[in-house]
Amino acid sequence: MPDLLTGRLSLTTPEGVRLLLTPAGPAPRAWAWAVDFLIWLAVVWVMIMVLSGTKLGEGVLMVLLFVSYWGYPIICEVYFGGRTLGKRVVGIEVLRTNGLPVGWRESTLRNLLLVADFLPLMYCSGLLCMLCDSRFRRIGDIVAGTQVVYREKRRARPAPPDAPPAVPPFPLTPEQQRTLADLFERERRLPPGRLEELGSLAEPLTGLSGMASLERLRGYVAGMTQ
Amino acid sequence: MKQKQFEAEHAALWEKLAAILKGDQPDAVEALPTLYRRLCQCLALAIQRGYSPALTDYLQNMVSDCHKRLYGTAAARPMTLRRWMLEEFPQRVRQEWRLVLLAMLAFWGVGLGVGWLVWQQPHWAYSFISPGQLREFQSMYQPSAAAIGRGGAEGDVVMFGFYIWNNVSIGFRTFAGGIFGGIPALLSIVFNGLHGGVVASWLSKDPITRETFWSFVVTHSSFEITGLMLSGVAGMRLGLALISPGRLTRRHALFAASRRMFPVLVGAALMTALAAFFEAFWSASSAITPATKFAVGGVCWTLVIGFFLFAGRRER
Repeated sequence: MPDLLTGRLSLTTPEGVRLLLTPAGPAPRAWAWAVDFLIWLAVVWVMIMVLSGTKLGEGVLMVLLFVSYWGYPIICEVYFGGRTLGKRVVGIEVLRTNGLPVGWRESTLRNLLLVADFLPLMYCSGLLCMLCDSRFRRIGDIVAGTQVVYREKRRARPAPPDAPPAVPPFPLTPEQQRTLADLFERERRLPPGRLEELGSLAEPLTGLSGMASLERLRGYVAGMTQ
Repeated sequence: MKQKQFEAEHAALWEKLAAILKGDQPDAVEALPTLYRRLCQCLALAIQRGYSPALTDYLQNMVSDCHKRLYGTAAARPMTLRRWMLEEFPQRVRQEWRLVLLAMLAFWGVGLGVGWLVWQQPHWAYSFISPGQLREFQSMYQPSAAAIGRGGAEGDVVMFGFYIWNNVSIGFRTFAGGIFGGIPALLSIVFNGLHGGVVASWLSKDPITRETFWSFVVTHSSFEITGLMLSGVAGMRLGLALISPGRLTRRHALFAASRRMFPVLVGAALMTALAAFFEAFWSASSAITPATKFAVGGVCWTLVIGFFLFAGRRER
């Protein structure tokens, strides 16, 4: 079962660390499907333009149609880290239930069973199955033992705040320390009004309010990291 | 320990791991397990000491990449496909002999039954297939047609492409439909048997088309019908796993059934593709005499039946 607050699945590895996976819901997966479908249509259109006309060309076209229709998602998932182009755009990937990359068997089964997910109309069964499953798996995913999860963004680590270090009036728990550090890592993405508000909220800790309180907090974080 | 100190102390380790993950240092790969365990320790410490989320996320991502790299690498098994096709495929088909029997009954039983009905009372053919289509079939199988079984003289490659696109896709759909209790897969087999039975009986009534029709279908049908039936069997097995999962949960039963049936599915698809090859380049050729086609067709049928009876019986 995923964590109720963050929606994350946690798998414990033999090394005693946790792998955190965030299952992707119907909406991002539908977008990924739409992107893939458009790409497929464009490729088919180009193939028809190039190949139609001669008998040989038409035969080759049919074979290529077959390979691109059934094979494209399978080949992408096996050779390119569980991601078709659409999934790459949306930022999701296919993994086995145990968090490992998919192989030929898993990828083939889940993509063939897309037909079953489609029935009776526009992926009704698949959507229904996703909504009933705790990890948003469609029928093909359950049969093949796979799941679709968000791919965590790789961000550069920001430098710690540059301020004269200060000591908080009482010791903070690791969780509280992490929350404070996170505030200054996200500082650039928050509007000034909100920062001021957050500073006032921390009054019990700093004894100040507004921006002055925020600067005091910055000092605490500098003291923790440096 | 302060976070900055911690980062400085372990930066070299993280950089080395990042380089290995990127594939820059092929000779350092052997050190990955040791370095990975040290990285796991770094992550545990970072979480326990309340270091910033940016650092723990960074380590968490690296741990997950390392885990995938370390445990996700498949052992090289160059003979897998061969073993699947030559041993597990026939073995699994024999283990599912009840479903194979059902599929055969659905195809041949319905086909022969309807065929016999049309043979006795030809007007019944119109209940299944429209008169226009029946006339089209009749003109396709005239001995004078340049390429038998087709509307006209079309390129073999076109038909090959069409058979691959159409027939293998039908096999895949039959398999996928099977998950709904096996009924759609069985219906697909029944429908194909019915269609085949009516057409075969109708064309056999007419002495002109009788020989051309049977010499056309005899070779590739051995692979095509078997391929379709086995796709259906694999699909029905999934459907049955859903209906009666036994001592497993439904999810586990589906997962286990699909793993077991995968070689059958691949084998069925390969057989259908082989059938497309024969149908396009051999069956339709008017340069080959019907006698040769019947002989080769007989050999193909014997091979297919023999394969499923005897292949993969020897213990390794």
